[in-house]
Amino acid sequence: MKALMSVGAVVGVIASLVLLGMIFGVIPASTVHLVEGYMPMQMLFELSIFVAGFTGLSYMLNSMGMTISRFWQGIGFVAFILFYLKSRIYPPIPFSVRAMYGTVTMVAVFMWMSSNEEDWKKFRQPILNVMDGLTPLHKGLRTFFLIAIPLGLWGFAYQSFVPQGAGADVDEPIELRTVHPAPPASTKVHGKTFVLQTSQNPYRANPEGKYDQEYSNKLIVEQSMGRLMQENANPWDPKAEGYLKNVREGGEIFFQNCHFCHGDNLNGRGLHAFAFNPIPANFTDPGTIAQLQETFIFWRVSKGGLGLPREGFPWASVMPPWEQHLTTDEIWKVVLFEYWHTGYYPRTWD
Amino acid sequence: MKQAGLTSKAVLILAAAFAITMVSGSAGVSIFAEEAGSGLPAGFKKGDLAPLPAAEMIEAGKRVYFTKCVWCHGVDGAGDGPAADRLWPRPRNFNQGTFKIRHTASGELPLFDAQKPTKGQNDLYETVTHGLPGSAMPSWEGILTDEQRLQVLSFVTNQLVKDRKFDDKATETVTVLDWDQLLKAQIKATPESIEKGKQLFLDKKCIECHGAEGRGDGNAFNLKDDWGFSIQPANQHKCWNFRGSRQDAYNVKNIFRTFSTGVNGTPMPSFADNTTVEERWHISNFVQSLCERDAKGNPLEIDLLTDKPKVKFVILSGTVEGEIPDDPENELWQKRERRIVLLGGQITHKPRNFVNRLDDVWVKSLYSAKDKQIAFLFQWDDRTKSVAKEAGTKIPWQPTEVNVETHGVKEQAPKTGEEGSIAGGQNKYPVYNDAIAIQFPVKWQELPPPEKPRYLWGDEKYPVDIVKWEADGSLRAFVGTGWDKDFEDREDYTEKLKLAKAEWKDGQWSVMIKRPLKADYDEDVRFEVGKYIPMVFFAWDGHNGDAGRKMAVSAFYYLVLQPPIPKETYIYPTLIAVGIVILEGWILTRRTNRKKGKA
Repeated sequence: MKALMSVGAVVGVIASLVLLGMIFGVIPASTVHLVEGYMPMQMLFELSIFVAGFTGLSYMLNSMGMTISRFWQGIGFVAFILFYLKSRIYPPIPFSVRAMYGTVTMVAVFMWMSSNEEDWKKFRQPILNVMDGLTPLHKGLRTFFLIAIPLGLWGFAYQSFVPQGAGADVDEPIELRTVHPAPPASTKVHGKTFVLQTSQNPYRANPEGKYDQEYSNKLIVEQSMGRLMQENANPWDPKAEGYLKNVREGGEIFFQNCHFCHGDNLNGRGLHAFAFNPIPANFTDPGTIAQLQETFIFWRVSKGGLGLPREGFPWASVMPPWEQHLTTDEIWKVVLFEYWHTGYYPRTWD
Repeated sequence: MKQAGLTSKAVLILAAAFAITMVSGSAGVSIFAEEAGSGLPAGFKKGDLAPLPAAEMIEAGKRVYFTKCVWCHGVDGAGDGPAADRLWPRPRNFNQGTFKIRHTASGELPLFDAQKPTKGQNDLYETVTHGLPGSAMPSWEGILTDEQRLQVLSFVTNQLVKDRKFDDKATETVTVLDWDQLLKAQIKATPESIEKGKQLFLDKKCIECHGAEGRGDGNAFNLKDDWGFSIQPANQHKCWNFRGSRQDAYNVKNIFRTFSTGVNGTPMPSFADNTTVEERWHISNFVQSLCERDAKGNPLEIDLLTDKPKVKFVILSGTVEGEIPDDPENELWQKRERRIVLLGGQITHKPRNFVNRLDDVWVKSLYSAKDKQIAFLFQWDDRTKSVAKEAGTKIPWQPTEVNVETHGVKEQAPKTGEEGSIAGGQNKYPVYNDAIAIQFPVKWQELPPPEKPRYLWGDEKYPVDIVKWEADGSLRAFVGTGWDKDFEDREDYTEKLKLAKAEWKDGQWSVMIKRPLKADYDEDVRFEVGKYIPMVFFAWDGHNGDAGRKMAVSAFYYLVLQPPIPKETYIYPTLIAVGIVILEGWILTRRTNRKKGKA
């Protein structure tokens, strides 16, 4: 037991040092990478390491006679979670969400503290000590709280009484937008009607010229870090024919038209992306094109922001209706390229 | 035999070179130019050529290159990929081995060692890792692994750099910035140092290109890079756009580095030979002090995902008692918080603006309920003052005309070759008016939230109110009903607008417009206090050929007129606080009584 706990303690100390080091810039902030797309899992994993570490640490301190009281353990843990959420997660999450997680943590810690009578007594003893003001330190603390609580509440109440907009800062109103609205049954592009359920990308074809997703799936980039093309499947090979040649042509169109917003790596961080709100779609995110059918992308690309239904906020989207700039063939090739470059398979109807 | 002879000769030469290096090294490399006896520029030390990367690294890098880089940099690395013609700056042509951001002396190859991804010792690795802000080169950190980044650089340096060899000891030298010494000699950015730097900025003729205020407006037309493309001097007020900012925009070390090494391939020379290290620190401190800051003088918060200042999509308009002053230097304007509005190119409808030279506008606003007026102060950096009439070209279209493509305002074709590319065409456009416009929905009070008129000049269902200022001095009001519909002129409202100020000075426009707070409800925007009023900004750079739909545009922002704070706001919280004090007293008394009872 002791061996296990000491391992935990070491883990806890190291993890805390790494975290603090990264946040205060002592060691490079990229020492432990945040892996794009796997962040929630990574957060949970890291937090469980910390919990295990703290358990070990508290056990070791206890056996060395330096017990940290229940009260401070609870306070310390809540403070740690808030600090972790604020400093570690990137891009930062808004205050309201942090407050929510903080409250949940507080409730959990409270339940832990009051799980049995003895712990509960230990937990509330420091509070009662301050209220009784038996020692000069407790007396001082009592005076501090007697003044600080009404003052703090005054500020809080002031904030809620200030007329809207008069405060030092005003946040933009929260408007929830549907990123992937329901598509229409069919769409008409350059005079031709495409039924979304039955249409297929004419360029997703095998050497025999037949629609073949299994064939193309073997030639897309590898779904590993970097998402590099397969060996011997270079669209830039002068001898590339069929599917790979179409990928290259789609890529050329993408890099002449789309990368300005969707980015050189299709992650929505293009040259102009910073100016726009909502930000451009990130195709490397498993929640975008990986979840959609190719015909859905074809519809979205052809009709752009103007073609969105109300819940998709057509007024705010700078996505062009690409039928104004590209031919039907070019649009299909761009769609082909987007799946190739991200390494995702389009969803099918069956 | 002959070969062996050659080799021994090479060894002899090398040994001699080594001995010379040793001697100069032992003599102590001085960091002051006037004392330098080593022949090295001040602040530099001798470095070594890095060993060639392994063949497997080069081969593996080819795969990375043809997945990620070829699209801009081209099959042969000549900077002529499919994207190239629509980009400005154009993608780097690797063939000549000319690289901008280095720790090495002017003209030398950058530092690259495939085995050493160490900060400050591997220039190309850092460029790929952090990207080049202000250009299309993104940060590849988190996308490619460290290993993959070193692999692709191995390929680029060995296969695509054709005119030079990274390991050729006969032709290449390595002279590296000596940070250990330089940081010891670093001078704090005190007001005195900044003042000295300001004087040196003048003496060393920095202002000739970068302009009196450092906005890059000194020589905006005649500068060309090594390939003959127009380029512009850096605007030192936007340090987040510095190519060499390494995602650490306000770090003075970046400026010191660029100033010492020069920017290869551009007219920016190295100042290592004609400045002392001390002088370079002063200038760097001064240049760093030019970068935009918040009201308290702190650096702006930079969003690492975009390399731009963080933006709030809300513009606050402050209330004034009497008249709104016309002078931006007036205390009321000076105290007013300014907000940044970021602009992207209009790339939705033809003619698309792939390269917007205006990328932000600073906005301040004041309103006066008594005077029934609201004023906007726009300040934005534009290296060139563009007025169509002055340049002798009369604009061939009416101010209401939207579709000016018929008059020759065209978008860049995708494939033209270098000559016809955006980079090739920069500074060769006919000059139109610089301009700025703001757009509000007509009758915004009736919009069912979150619905709005389309960002680009509204739509038929929801018309918009557009007020546009142009550099020829005109300030006009229009109704917009769609991106491709000509504006309707609103002469009756135009009469109520007032241009309080329009001045171009040292690379910056300051334009102040005033408009009525309450006008006709059916046609004009009524500004109501404490409400979110949707707003869009547009800006045109006349020297970029911007006209009609070819312009820079913002996302939706919200204008909020801040109400004055009523007395109740102070009274109620005070009552609550008094209540809490009483409650505290009651709890403590109860506790004491209970304890007494127990005792």
